[in-house]
Amino acid sequence: MIISLHDVNKTYPGIVPLHVLKDINLEIERGELVSIMGASGSGKSTLLNILGILDSYDSGDYVLDGLEIKNLSENRAAEIRNRKIGFVFQSFNLINYKNALENVALPLFYQGVGRRKRNALAMEQLERMGLADRAHHLPGELSGGQKQRVAIARALVTKPAIILADEPTGALDSHTSKEVMEVFRQLNADGMTVVIVTHDPGVGAATNRVIRIVDGVIDNGDV
Amino acid sequence: MFDLLGEIVQTLRNNRLRTILTGVSVSWGIFMLIVLLGASRGVRNAFESNWDKSETNTIQFWSGVTSMPYNGYKDGRYIELKSSDIDAVKQDNEELVSDAIAFASLDSAKITTSKDVVSGGFEAVYPKAQATNNIEMKYGRYVNDADIRDARRTMVISSKNARLLFESDSVAVGRTVSCMGLAWTIVGVYDHRWRSQSYVPYTAYKAVTGNTDKAYSLIVNVEGLETEADGDAAEKALRATLGRQHQFHADDRNALWSWNGFNSYLTNSAAMGYLNMAVWVIGIFTLLTGIVGVSNIMFVSVRERTHEIGIRRAIGAKPRSILGQVLCESVALTAFFGYIGIVAGTLSLQALNAVLGDMDGFKNATVDISIAIEVTVALIVAGAMAGFFPALKAIKVKPVEALRDE
Repeated sequence: MIISLHDVNKTYPGIVPLHVLKDINLEIERGELVSIMGASGSGKSTLLNILGILDSYDSGDYVLDGLEIKNLSENRAAEIRNRKIGFVFQSFNLINYKNALENVALPLFYQGVGRRKRNALAMEQLERMGLADRAHHLPGELSGGQKQRVAIARALVTKPAIILADEPTGALDSHTSKEVMEVFRQLNADGMTVVIVTHDPGVGAATNRVIRIVDGVIDNGDV
Repeated sequence: MFDLLGEIVQTLRNNRLRTILTGVSVSWGIFMLIVLLGASRGVRNAFESNWDKSETNTIQFWSGVTSMPYNGYKDGRYIELKSSDIDAVKQDNEELVSDAIAFASLDSAKITTSKDVVSGGFEAVYPKAQATNNIEMKYGRYVNDADIRDARRTMVISSKNARLLFESDSVAVGRTVSCMGLAWTIVGVYDHRWRSQSYVPYTAYKAVTGNTDKAYSLIVNVEGLETEADGDAAEKALRATLGRQHQFHADDRNALWSWNGFNSYLTNSAAMGYLNMAVWVIGIFTLLTGIVGVSNIMFVSVRERTHEIGIRRAIGAKPRSILGQVLCESVALTAFFGYIGIVAGTLSLQALNAVLGDMDGFKNATVDISIAIEVTVALIVAGAMAGFFPALKAIKVKPVEALRDE
């Protein structure tokens, strides 16, 4: 079990407190290709934030790759994110003044890996994504699909336990979307656990399991 | 470390215009600080070199007129110093007085040769006057003990006068001049920044003027003084002694004119200290405007890069690496442009020196290594301060920012 959520609750405080996640129970096995689907406002983004240790939760338990994720310091959270999770974002989130290679190498910089080794590892991932010839291009000089593949390379460079993708095809056309999904399927075939959060049924259909979330509750009905 | 530097250079280069504009204000602040410090150093140097060290522990007296009736005498009496006062002063204040000399002067005397004539007279001195007046000989010697003992008619003149009276100052020693209708042998030529009097042995003067004991002035060397109060007390003690000798009230300031070298030195030193302090204050405040600029820019930079910081946080940057990066950026920005300011300031001082180097009141205006170190420390501290609050703001950025679309 790589991800295990047990009775997780999250409420955003306010004049009218918003109970976003209600007793979420969720288990994802190592090597799965899973999509979490839900309409906007369903709580799927909050769930993603909690899975990615970008946000905290109020009650319940979350175990990621054997580590209990609870009451972590900012430093510890950053370290776990760095080593265990590879993020892929909708808007790529590459740093626009760094070239593809530097972007991919950045997570290793925060691990304190030396420049030479960093660049070698980053180059390896770019080659895997078929972008070796674009290594020294700035993000602005790359197409959407190329940018997303650079972002995936960055997610992979630390050899994480899980890839967490937030609407990875949201900014891409349908043809490129298919290509990117193919990349994810290929990664999964190589043994990587991939969790994709999306509202796009087409993306959901391309995964092996779909977890639906409706109004903060996991819908176990007719899958 | 290299990596961090690379990161910094990259981000600063990414905002080149903004970086340069901010940097210029820092350079300007440092430039002003350096130039001001150097210039004040120049004034200080000039002051210290003009101030003969030997004068700092002397108190000098001149004849005056009493303003208080005393011991049966009316006020308005002329008090004339005598060379015999030396012994009284020494005996009464053994602990205080290390030495005392008297000298007389005859302003009306003209000194002539077949070539030219100089007016301004001469001063009749003892050998010790050389040290007291800080006279450096260029040729020959000063008045010596044998001159005094035998009342020789010898004379020491300034090189300026020597050039007037003879073909050149190098040939003056051994020649004779005429003064008060008598022949005097030149035994020495001296060089001094502003003194140009001629000096003759006190005893010779006495013999020539009819064995008068009159002294024009009394110079007392005092020792063991530390504070201004000490200086005042010393002067008061000396006045009391002289008052007994000449029958005037110890508090009668007009009976003798005096100049307290020690207290003057203290006052001037204090003034130099204030000048130095004022320069630092002005310089630091000028620098401060530059620093506020850097701080401002760092705030803008942090704000603009909120999303980027979020991304960095999401992929594993710890708060302290973000804090470190912002601080280092600020210090690097300040230090780099500050260094430009230091170099420009130093070059300007060199230019200033070349132009004003020989001027009175301005000498060798340079910044030494200690000032350079002080300014560098000030720079780094300033840079860290400028980056501190923006950095605090930066570490408040949550990694969730990465998910927000721009």
